[in-house]
Amino acid sequence: MTSAPAVKRSLTHIALLALVFLNLVPLIIVLSSSLRSPKNMTDPLNWFNEFTFASFRSAFTRMHFPTALWNSVVLTGVSVVFVVLLAAMAAYPMARIRSRLSKFLYIFFLSGLVVPGQMVLIPIIQMIKSVGIPMNQYTPILMFITCSLPFSTFLYTGFIRSGVPEELEEAAHIDGAGMFRRYWQIVFPLLLPVTVSVVITQGVWIWNDYFFNMVFITKTLAAPLPVAMLGFLGDQQNPAQWNVLFAACILCALPLLIAFLALQKYFVGGMTVGAVKG
Amino acid sequence: MNSAVMKKTMFWFVLPALLFYCLFWVFPILKLFQYSITDYNGYVQKFSYVGLDNFKTLFHEEILGLSIRNTLIYTFVTVILGNIVALAIAFLLNANIRAKGLYRSAFYIPTLFSAIVVGFIWSYVYMPDEGLIASFLHKIGINGIDTNFLGSYDKALYSIIAVDIWKNIGTSTIIFLAGLQTVPTDLIEAGKIDGAGRWKLVRYIKIPLLATSVTINVTLSVINGLKAFDYPFVMTNGGPGTSTNTLIYAMYKMAFTDQLFGKASALGIISFALIIVITAAFVFTLNRREISA
Repeated sequence: MTSAPAVKRSLTHIALLALVFLNLVPLIIVLSSSLRSPKNMTDPLNWFNEFTFASFRSAFTRMHFPTALWNSVVLTGVSVVFVVLLAAMAAYPMARIRSRLSKFLYIFFLSGLVVPGQMVLIPIIQMIKSVGIPMNQYTPILMFITCSLPFSTFLYTGFIRSGVPEELEEAAHIDGAGMFRRYWQIVFPLLLPVTVSVVITQGVWIWNDYFFNMVFITKTLAAPLPVAMLGFLGDQQNPAQWNVLFAACILCALPLLIAFLALQKYFVGGMTVGAVKG
Repeated sequence: MNSAVMKKTMFWFVLPALLFYCLFWVFPILKLFQYSITDYNGYVQKFSYVGLDNFKTLFHEEILGLSIRNTLIYTFVTVILGNIVALAIAFLLNANIRAKGLYRSAFYIPTLFSAIVVGFIWSYVYMPDEGLIASFLHKIGINGIDTNFLGSYDKALYSIIAVDIWKNIGTSTIIFLAGLQTVPTDLIEAGKIDGAGRWKLVRYIKIPLLATSVTINVTLSVINGLKAFDYPFVMTNGGPGTSTNTLIYAMYKMAFTDQLFGKASALGIISFALIIVITAAFVFTLNRREISA
């Protein structure tokens, strides 16, 4: 007879396995169907009854995968770099100076979290047109940076307050380091853990966003991955298109899945930096 | 406080972020207030002021009440169900078992998918007759259940709510799990010595110490629910009828499909007020509890 803890452990395993299965079953079927030829219309519940990349090839050309991937990389990369620079800088005085002004700024930024992007859309299009900012595939970057500021300044401020000792800066001040040197040489490098968290949380939403991209980007060859997916809209109603559609879904998610598998501990750690300290 | 080291001039550091934020976030919101009392259509720059007419028409039409109702149901169910399931999974994962990391990753994977991809995948899951649920029920011999989930007035809203929960459960689970792992083991031991049973340990030690992660998860899911837009947009177009019209989706449709931007702005202002009041109420109560816990 096995001992009580062992029974409990296997029960936990069974419960978890069942939940994981329920959770992933749609994705398993998507994967198995994507590996069929486009014409294979047998019941998707018969998993993995064919193995070919034909549907992937078709999806690959239809969504202009290499171009879309590159567009996603550029959009996300540029936005994230700016988010890190702007948010970390803004958080620095908010964390260090205890005054009404810094409290006001902190709440002012944080309150932006409740505003949905859809709401500010038309005034923004109007404004961008009237100020003369060109409307092209890089315009969404402005929105990505702005939308990311509330959460990122929140994370940075919390981290600087609790994780970067003021004594370090005082020592540097005595050694004659000015404000800028203190920030760039001492504070900013120490922010690495929370920077990882900002890059991951904001990078994932920017990478996956279709909304701002859809509004600003009209040329097919300028579209990032999620917008390339919009070209398949309507296909989900038609079982004859499923295999190619599912292959496109996998292709769209693949870069982030690979990044996640490679950098798992940063993803998990990144999610919780703000949560535990905040 | 203005010490020798932390000088007020440090506030210059806020400027670049503040510029972006005011220009592309705050200013457009203020513009929305202006547009809400006009008959602006979003395209032609000529418009006239119509006073509170937009608000008056909104209050007379069904769509306002319906979308508020849908949004509140959406928020309530995602907050309650999403967090309970995530908490349960976090408790299971916190047990002393092997392959913890593997399970955790498996729960996390859906959060990596774009809402548009998630919408496609679940449209297939919910497809009548040939979708995942329909063919599964068929296979195990259950027939006669209406499987037209997205096409039915009563089920469509709950169906897209389930999708939202599925997509976000990984994030909440990880935040809860991190909270659980900060519960000191000696506190648990002390509780055991004092004769606390399993349930009492959970109720009086673990849950109070989870307060921070509960605050974060609940607040994030309240905001997420009140801002719901993606799945009505990708999966149902607000339909059938208006059964999945959330506030933000209704506003979007009013502005872009009906080209009634003045009216849409008025709806935006109402949504804005509602979101702020509800979120503030939540943050306020949760923070007070957190301190007393």
